[in-house]
Amino acid sequence: MASPGGPRPGNLPPSFIPNSLANNMQNLQINQPNQPQSNNPTGGVSRPPNTTPFGQQPPPFAGSRPGPPPHSAFARGPVPPSPSGPPQTTLSPNVAPVRPAGPPPGSQPPTPFVSRPLPPGSLPSSMGGATVSLASGSSPQLGPGPHHGPFVSSPPMSGPAAPPPVRTSGPLSNGPPGITPAQFQAGPRFPPVMGSTPRPPPIAAPQPATMLSSGSSSQRPQLRPNFGGPPASASLATTHPGPSSAPPQNMLPPPAPSPFSAPIQSVPRPSGSPYGMQTWMSQQQQVAPPPPVSGLQPPRMFGMPRTLPNQSLAPTSPALFHTGAAGTAQSKVDPSHIPRPIPSSVVILHETRQGNQANPPPPATSDYIVKDTGNCSPRFMRCTINQIPCTVDLLSTSAMQLALLVQPLALPHPSEEPIQVVDFGESGPVRCSRCKGYINPFMKFIDQGRSFICNLCGFTDETPRDYHCNLGPDGRRRDADERPELCRGTVEFVASKEYMVRDPMPAVYFFLIDVSTNAIQTGATAAACSAINQVIADLPEGPRTAVGIATFDSNIHFYNLKRALQQPLMLIVPDIQDVYTPLESDVIVQLSECRQHLELLLESIPTMFQNNRIGDSAFGAAIKAAYLAMKSTGGKLLVFQSVLPSIGIGSLSAREAEGRSNISAGEKEANKLLQPADKTLKTMAIEFAEYQVCVDLFITTQTYVDIASISVIPRTTGGRVYYYYPFTALSDPAKLYNDLRWNVTRPQGFEAVMRVRCSQGIQVQDYSGNFCKRIPTDVDLPAIDCDKTIMVTLKHDDKLQDGSECAFQCALLYTTVYGQRRIRVSTLSLPCTTMLSNLFRSADLDTQFACILKQVTGEVPSTPLPQVAEQAKNLCINILHSYRKFCATATASGQLILPEALKLLPLYTLALLKSCGLRGDGRIDDRSSWINYVSHLSTPLAIPLVYPRMIAIHNLDEKELDSSLIPETVPLSSEHITDEGIYLLENGEDCLICVGNSVNPDILHQLFGISSVEEISSQFVLQQYDNPLSKKLNGIINEIRRQRCSYLRLKLCRKGDPSGTTFLSYMVEDKTPSGLSYVEFLIHIHQHIQRKMP
Amino acid sequence: MAASRLPEADMEGIEGVRMTWNNWPRTKVEASKCVIPIAASIQPIRPHVDLQVLPYPPLRCKTCSAVLSPFCRVDFTALVWMCPFCYQRNHFPQHYSSISQTNLPAELYPNFPSIEYTIPNYPQNPQNFNPSTTVCPIYLFVFDTCLLEEELDFAKSALKRAIGMLPDNAMVGFVSYGTQVQVHELGFSEMSKVYVFRGSKELSKDQVLEQLGLGAAGRRAGPGIQKGGDGLNPLGGAPNSGINRFLLPASECEYTLNSLLDELGTDQWPVAPGNRALRCTGVALSIAAGLLGASTVGTGARIIAFVGGPCTEGPGSIVSKDLSDPVRSHKDLDKDAAPFFKKAVHFYEELGKQLVSQGHVLDVFASALDQVGIAEMKVAIERTGGLAVLAESFGHSVFKESFKRIFEDREQSLGLSFNGTLEINCSKDIKIQGIIGPCTSLEKKGPAVANTVIGQGNTTAWKMCGLDRNTCMTIFFDISSNEKSDPSGTNPQLYIQFITSYQTPDGQTRLRATTVTRRWVDSAVGTEDLVNGFDQEAAAVVIARFASYKMEMEEGFDTTRWLDRNLIRLCSKFGDYRKDDPSSFTLNPCFSLFPQFMFNLRRSQFVQVFNNSPDETAYFRILLNREIISNAAVMIQPSLISYSFNSLPAPALLDVSSIGADRILLLDSYFSVVIFHGMTIAQWRNMGYQNQPEHQAFAHLLQAPHDDAELIIRDRFPVPRLVVCDQHGSQARFLLAKLNPSATYSNAHEMAAGSDVIFTDDVSLQVFIDHLQRLAVQAS
Repeated sequence: MASPGGPRPGNLPPSFIPNSLANNMQNLQINQPNQPQSNNPTGGVSRPPNTTPFGQQPPPFAGSRPGPPPHSAFARGPVPPSPSGPPQTTLSPNVAPVRPAGPPPGSQPPTPFVSRPLPPGSLPSSMGGATVSLASGSSPQLGPGPHHGPFVSSPPMSGPAAPPPVRTSGPLSNGPPGITPAQFQAGPRFPPVMGSTPRPPPIAAPQPATMLSSGSSSQRPQLRPNFGGPPASASLATTHPGPSSAPPQNMLPPPAPSPFSAPIQSVPRPSGSPYGMQTWMSQQQQVAPPPPVSGLQPPRMFGMPRTLPNQSLAPTSPALFHTGAAGTAQSKVDPSHIPRPIPSSVVILHETRQGNQANPPPPATSDYIVKDTGNCSPRFMRCTINQIPCTVDLLSTSAMQLALLVQPLALPHPSEEPIQVVDFGESGPVRCSRCKGYINPFMKFIDQGRSFICNLCGFTDETPRDYHCNLGPDGRRRDADERPELCRGTVEFVASKEYMVRDPMPAVYFFLIDVSTNAIQTGATAAACSAINQVIADLPEGPRTAVGIATFDSNIHFYNLKRALQQPLMLIVPDIQDVYTPLESDVIVQLSECRQHLELLLESIPTMFQNNRIGDSAFGAAIKAAYLAMKSTGGKLLVFQSVLPSIGIGSLSAREAEGRSNISAGEKEANKLLQPADKTLKTMAIEFAEYQVCVDLFITTQTYVDIASISVIPRTTGGRVYYYYPFTALSDPAKLYNDLRWNVTRPQGFEAVMRVRCSQGIQVQDYSGNFCKRIPTDVDLPAIDCDKTIMVTLKHDDKLQDGSECAFQCALLYTTVYGQRRIRVSTLSLPCTTMLSNLFRSADLDTQFACILKQVTGEVPSTPLPQVAEQAKNLCINILHSYRKFCATATASGQLILPEALKLLPLYTLALLKSCGLRGDGRIDDRSSWINYVSHLSTPLAIPLVYPRMIAIHNLDEKELDSSLIPETVPLSSEHITDEGIYLLENGEDCLICVGNSVNPDILHQLFGISSVEEISSQFVLQQYDNPLSKKLNGIINEIRRQRCSYLRLKLCRKGDPSGTTFLSYMVEDKTPSGLSYVEFLIHIHQHIQRKMP
Repeated sequence: MAASRLPEADMEGIEGVRMTWNNWPRTKVEASKCVIPIAASIQPIRPHVDLQVLPYPPLRCKTCSAVLSPFCRVDFTALVWMCPFCYQRNHFPQHYSSISQTNLPAELYPNFPSIEYTIPNYPQNPQNFNPSTTVCPIYLFVFDTCLLEEELDFAKSALKRAIGMLPDNAMVGFVSYGTQVQVHELGFSEMSKVYVFRGSKELSKDQVLEQLGLGAAGRRAGPGIQKGGDGLNPLGGAPNSGINRFLLPASECEYTLNSLLDELGTDQWPVAPGNRALRCTGVALSIAAGLLGASTVGTGARIIAFVGGPCTEGPGSIVSKDLSDPVRSHKDLDKDAAPFFKKAVHFYEELGKQLVSQGHVLDVFASALDQVGIAEMKVAIERTGGLAVLAESFGHSVFKESFKRIFEDREQSLGLSFNGTLEINCSKDIKIQGIIGPCTSLEKKGPAVANTVIGQGNTTAWKMCGLDRNTCMTIFFDISSNEKSDPSGTNPQLYIQFITSYQTPDGQTRLRATTVTRRWVDSAVGTEDLVNGFDQEAAAVVIARFASYKMEMEEGFDTTRWLDRNLIRLCSKFGDYRKDDPSSFTLNPCFSLFPQFMFNLRRSQFVQVFNNSPDETAYFRILLNREIISNAAVMIQPSLISYSFNSLPAPALLDVSSIGADRILLLDSYFSVVIFHGMTIAQWRNMGYQNQPEHQAFAHLLQAPHDDAELIIRDRFPVPRLVVCDQHGSQARFLLAKLNPSATYSNAHEMAAGSDVIFTDDVSLQVFIDHLQRLAVQAS
């Protein structure tokens, strides 16, 4: 933003943003016409620019932005530039206030974790009940008031700085409530409260706000007051030694009455400061001179203080924090008291390091703004545990995963500073000569700056002469603050010649469209053409952007788009066993030269093939041919596929049907269907990757297409699968368009290579994600974009020194869409610890779960389902058991004690077990698609995927306008669904709106323009009607789209229909024929843990 | 010149047949003593003013299926005719009942040895016959794009002009090729649509059809599968399903094709420095052939290929793409140092077989400075009866005019016909060894098949996928009877009947029956009859064809020696001389020109191949084998006419002494026509006297050879190259190379002023004759 460094690295943001905004605007308008009524006859395929083919209503996605929430879907990107000004200011004010102010506002919302969203009607009738008593053991000790709470989250993790004050207030209030049922409600209810006051501010601008900036600014102010509260809850602040210990004790007393709220709140408050900043500071002051000094010493210092607090905590914390399940009577477990995610709607301001110590990041799912003060933003890289165990033993004792989730091009928050670009000229960035690590803030300069010690391998290098700078009295280079690479966790280096094997590749987009009978008749072809036609305008401008297009059925049709031709020339490649490209050039043409031809062509393709009788699809041959055309440059291959590849190279058989007809074999090897049918496509994919061709698949189908086999291609080439099933021409084109648009407009890079380096003692074990790996240390990414996440598992190869820091550095060498070669280097330095309790305290739930999700999902195709489920469950049990055994020994064995940081792990695990991928009953393609989706999924999206967000929308009117755009969530339990209600559930990809059977027709009419439930059609297009309710609904959906960077597939569900069943399948807390309810699951886990206890 | 050829044309008469011997020796032994093989050169569809076309089908002998001819013995009362070949008695059908001695049908008129019948199309499935539909010929253009921009433009404009000249109902297809092959789907209205095939991969016909989407629907394995009108007319098929996606009537696709040609650029695939362009002529032709395979059986079709350079990619390659490897020469072929040659020839052989089985023709128009592979393609061109034209550039008149000629529908029209078959019936004791010429053996065995094979043999029927009015074939006969058979008991006449059925360019099916008779002579009695029946010109041409054939077929064949030996033997047998007295040697006038023909043949491009590239040699041979005798004779021994103020234009000796400073010479060597100005003439011309009114005579003199050359060029296909040169000019070599070197540098001092000398060590005609006389009179 303000950074003088000025130009954003790739320029991405700036250009990107403006365009997107502008585009959005257009889209919206465009869309509107369409949607309204009749775009349908042909199936959303419409065309004229004015009428938006797909756009649902203007509001959707793009549209929304312009109006109220300027941000709209992609808002993030766009926002920064113009809005930045305002937001910043607003933010900063907020921030500042936040912490201090925290207390006041916080009072209401505060409780960090304890809460449960909304205990609907259930009041904590009996406190005893409230405590989840797990029948298992006799729980004599449960009695202790404090522990009562079945699941008390552990305070340690609680909020950042803000919390302290807040909490105090919060706790107080909570505490009391806890005691009395009534209050208790209030306390827990926190959500509601939140919703009304706190939330609104953070995210959504009030509807009135016309401009983003204005909106945000206006909100901000409001935020502040509330702010304090939310952040507290959201941020995982480690408890601080001093405070923490104190709180616990304090806690005890109050807790007694209300198990839940009390402990948590109490704890956090005391600690107050986020990661122990305060404490550290204070200590440091004591120990060392001034706090500001962030010299060499810091690291050591850092460790010291921390451990102390931890240690002190360790003993006490367990008792306090852990919710004990003193179950005497199972039935007593009050489902409303069990841990549930409380989405915080408050924007957290996060400094990556404070006082020269790593600051544990806020939850990935929260809304936060990062200030890079040495460590990279958690958006780019986050670790499952924010302290690194010194030994393997310690790690294995904890049973937790040690892994990094790396999202190297993650979309920044609009208010964050852009990444600075550093140009070292021809010599390239300074690097360690042994491990080739890049210069970073943790490299230690010695000998008056003449040498530096690599923080990764420990080697001492000479400082290049022209990079020399004297050291200041604090031991830092005097220029450290002026040089981004010495003070920022993430910088981008301009790559010198040495990093290029060839000139940076142009941005090449090749569209490959299925025109077989099925695709034509379902409208998929028309939808694809229309989407592409609109998206062309969004492609990067300039001479380096080239496009190509081909269609295929049983042949492959290329098009020569060269300007000289009067009209496009269709070139058919009929040999689908042994394909080739039909032209050396001119199949891929500079966009500026062929725009007209391209538009003409895209308009005529659907009609040209409208009588196509060829049902076969030579998918494999087509992508191979397209690849050959792109081979010389590389680029993005966007494939629109509608039927099972049935002919030519890599053709597949309808395995699913075969499996069904042969049940015995099918069951025995059910997971076989989730594996690729053969190696052909894999071999092809590796070749593609070698030539920097990235394939994205848009599968618009109504039948089985064997995603398990064809997804190998996008997975290996850094692309992904978009799955539209069952494709309908009415509602899907809008999503297709928006997905495509995001695909090409989001920040991204080409021909990338990524490597993660670790400090000595730790090494990378494996990478997983969508890429191709040819050598063990690097991953090759033909394309990388802001949504792609790579999981990097780590292992010890030596002991780490307690009190030292362990650094991880992710270097991504890539080419921007404008043809600049860049190296993005993100460095994360975390403290090492020998304390198990520290590990639990600093565990990062979202990241941990994302890792579990990815690992378990990775097993699904190769392992029988029951084993996978068992494995998933065991991952959860082992962690909890370890905690129970080593950190909560003081508590009674009958209690289920959950580490505060991981208290939601059982819930998520349960949700995972019930997720699409781990259910055996789903369609094979659905499962494959799910598995694929997970493989590149970012941390913030991992949680909603298994534990979607549900909100009630029938009562939107009742909510205050000034509240957060998105109402509070409803637990995923059918208990919380009434027949009079309409609920919206979204998981980042799909959005289901379930309409109860007794809904007020008036509301129905306002929202959907229908008068009775019976009129609900399976094909749903969201429209905006001229009434507040409808506007709000649209506002909400647009906000969700923005948050998820996804357009969402909207579906209307109705109880009693199959659609209703689908909806219910997301109610993960319910008992199902094949799965336990949440409470049962907790008991189940508890039993397992107890069984393991000596 | 043209005038001088007319009498020769008469020699062929309505029959169109010329034989080396017009009186045949009775026995095999006698025949072998004649040295010159008994052979007939026939011009199967020779146009003739007197030719009758009968609107009904012929009567045929029920045993040997010979056609009723004037040589049949007819019993008018019994209404029976006897076949002169098998002596089978056949009854006339009902509608001939009114014939009598005075009321003869045309086929029995003695002065109509050749007669033509119109046959309804598709006699093989009469149920489908619809007289109103005729089969339209198909022209499938195969167009090379690996050309220089300039050449491409020339070729395109030639093609455009040709398309404009096609009859409206002619079906047209277009295939372009370079590194890859593009089959243009002309019937696709939405945009230009092209099927692209890789140049490096050979595809079978089935694969081609499959990949063009003609697999199941478009292919017709045989007449039985045809349904409705679909089988008859390619247009009748379901829209967009069959071959008519690719082949459209000229009237419908002219616009499309023209705009397509406008946009057609040179091949885009890059050519690395030091390399030849990758050109997949072989695959392109095989795909074109495959495409035509989907057309209706019996439809005449020509693949008209433009070739601008050597094939370097895929099957049929003749040279590597590396420019440092030269294209094979005769020397390489001799030393077996042409690694691509055999494979390529084999490829084209197979292609030829495929085309023949489909009844389609391959024409090649090659224009390049270097070789393009005619030598390899020759087999396919010849077997299908295709045309070949070799030029230096698509802008050169040799190409332009020749190409235009194909489509012209005027007097000079080539009368390109399709789907010809030739059957031969002959009297007992006559065996057929085979044919050298543009045809393919149909392997139809019969008693008349000889044991030894020359050319396309082992049959009495041949396929001529393409033939035109000048097409000529040489049939080699053998005599099976031996000395002991009793000559008196049999007919002193022998009969041979040539039955040619073919499709005319406008789609009619015709059958021409030519029946000739010759006399048996018993050479034991005397050689006079034999001698009088000798046709020197025909014999020279047949020997030239036979020698060429042997050069191709026999490794290490010493042609000159073989020719000399034959000539000596001939002279020994038929000359009058006293033994061992060369000066006593004389030859009967019937033989007198023959030694000179042989002298020129020995020096010609047909024997002295090392002066030419294999492509040129192949090209010359293709033409030698398919041209009529008189034209072929010109190839062997050019004609020379002299123009001067002193006399009328007159034939001049083909001798260097004919050159004079005040003369203009016109040389016709078939492949080129040279106008040669003597030095003085050239000087006058350069000074512009012809433009001065008082020197009109000079202007006329200058103009006269041009007019005559024009006449020659006008009705010759391929169009010869016209060379206009001056004495001592560099182009003069075109003339000098053909002249008898009676004056060389060794005896230059003897020559009169104004004449010329030839720098050569070749022997002159005089020396040759001297030697011949000496050897002929030696006891053998």
